Amino acid sequence: MRRKIVQRLGGAFVQVIMVSILTWFLFFVVARFTGASPAARIAGRTATASQIALVAKIYGLNKPYWQQYLIFMGHLLHGNFGFSAVQQLPVSTILWPALRVTASLVFGAALLWTIVSAPIGAFGALRPHSLGDVLSRALSVIGMSIPVFWLAPMVSYLFAFEPTQGRFLGIPLGGHHSIFPITGYVDFGVNPVEWAYHLILPWMTLAIGFAAVYIRYIRAMSAEQLGEDYTRTAKAKGASTARILLRHVGRNLLPTLTVLLGADVAYALTGVFFVETIFNLPGVGYQGVSAILNLDYPVITGVVIVSAIVAVLANALVDILHVVLDPRLRRVGTS
Amino acid sequence: MFALVVFVLLVLAAAIGGPLAAWWTGHSPDAQYPNALSSGGLPLGIMQRTYLPNGISHNPHGGLFVLGSDALGRDVLVRVLYGARISLLVAGGATALALVIGVSLGLLAGYFGGWIDGIVNRFTETAMAFPNLLLAVALAVVVGPGLLNVVVIIAFFTWYYPARIVRSATVAAKEMTFVAAARTMGARPRRILVVHLLPQVWGPLLVYATSIVANNIIFEASLSYLGVGVPQPTPSWGQMLSDAVTSGLYQVDLSLAVVPGVALVLTMLCFNLLGDGLHDALDPKASRR
Repeated sequence: MRRKIVQRLGGAFVQVIMVSILTWFLFFVVARFTGASPAARIAGRTATASQIALVAKIYGLNKPYWQQYLIFMGHLLHGNFGFSAVQQLPVSTILWPALRVTASLVFGAALLWTIVSAPIGAFGALRPHSLGDVLSRALSVIGMSIPVFWLAPMVSYLFAFEPTQGRFLGIPLGGHHSIFPITGYVDFGVNPVEWAYHLILPWMTLAIGFAAVYIRYIRAMSAEQLGEDYTRTAKAKGASTARILLRHVGRNLLPTLTVLLGADVAYALTGVFFVETIFNLPGVGYQGVSAILNLDYPVITGVVIVSAIVAVLANALVDILHVVLDPRLRRVGTS
Repeated sequence: MFALVVFVLLVLAAAIGGPLAAWWTGHSPDAQYPNALSSGGLPLGIMQRTYLPNGISHNPHGGLFVLGSDALGRDVLVRVLYGARISLLVAGGATALALVIGVSLGLLAGYFGGWIDGIVNRFTETAMAFPNLLLAVALAVVVGPGLLNVVVIIAFFTWYYPARIVRSATVAAKEMTFVAAARTMGARPRRILVVHLLPQVWGPLLVYATSIVANNIIFEASLSYLGVGVPQPTPSWGQMLSDAVTSGLYQVDLSLAVVPGVALVLTMLCFNLLGDGLHDALDPKASRR
């Protein structure tokens, strides 16, 4: 088991290196051949010639490519992600607080979609072709088809904006109400209740698409487990449905679900781009989108590399958890 | 059935819908009509006619804007139909390109194994470990917007899905007797790959291709939404949506966000159902559990 964990961590290390090479390649090599020079891009649009020259010197942009990459990596390892000319702040000062916001959003949403989809999927597997099953499957296909960048403005409009205009779904409410906050973020450390209150709609928005997919996963996997001999044995011994689902089926789904969750938490990092901009949450996605609009290259580079590293680490972490949770993988001599 | 009907409608819309609507309404997709905006600069709603020169009351004989106009006074109906063309063109083109790369590499990796397999596997594993939209956005920012750029970028970040599927199908198929027979008869690797193995992988690939097309439609819309996809003024659904949302105009006229959004959702629904249907039809084991 220890060997497997070490192996997986080694794999993650290689992936992080590959991510850094790819990002560096994009922003420092590809950029050279497609418009402005990397130095001019990093220095910002208002930079003077001497500022551009200074940037070129800091990043060693006149040296051979391999040295440029090592300098880039050296900066990264010191936690130095460069300086944003647009915001007039070091990129790390922008990114660390943003990462907290994004973590709140993504983990809350992941918890929400798991809690919602587990019982619905299990029900579908227990009573296939029942009304509830047909309905939940129809809804999950629809949910899968709604892109998050459309869902976000719609949710914001229906649940936050429209009530302030005195309507909900076009029905007059008789007075203006503010049910959910339209925008803004309150840190968990400041006020946990306000934190959750401000995040309810963003959590919901991010979770719906994933919940749709998870209902299908969980239904298919539970149906498979319910067809196995061990569940029949448990039922014959008089175990209740709840006990079979939780102790037997649930325990067997847990390792696979963990791995799926890890991959999807990483995948959700693209969804936050749209959810955070609509709900004005100052997270990594919000910073990324405004950096794209302002062509703020140091921030874009930082967002890409930090998100990619988080994704790689999340995948590695769940693979390790998988080994811990699934005793079949722990046996010596199996691969 | 539903999926098939929507699919046919979608292809029709993409092929002739845009020009047809343009001909019927007399509005070109990129033209801005000053009399389609009120004196306060607000666009027309659904089924409204153009304004009189005072910009307050509607001209009863003016041009009809079936789905209203956008912030620049362009016809939303004509644009959304032309948007279908862009969506399918980009998604179809990117999928075709991704399939060409993915199938070739998958066949080579699966058949020859060894170092080719090693390299392809490392690539696909790494590529799948992190969110591809993120790096695609980064590449798009660096390269700049453009129709061809978008196609290449999407293909570049999606080829590894078909590659993996084709690789595993090839590994399974190359042990079969007919491949051994072909080899004994002196067939060269190229002939074995193209004539004998390629037909074996079409089945799983077909199911997968529909979901790749669906993903690529979302991919294109996301890039356009972020302003790094298909450049203005070419109508695309992602961009119509972002125009309505980032300006906040959708809070005044919801149809500006609903029309391109519903177009996207229906298209996605159609491809998802089509994929499910194909999956059930081609894989009898998985159906009707």
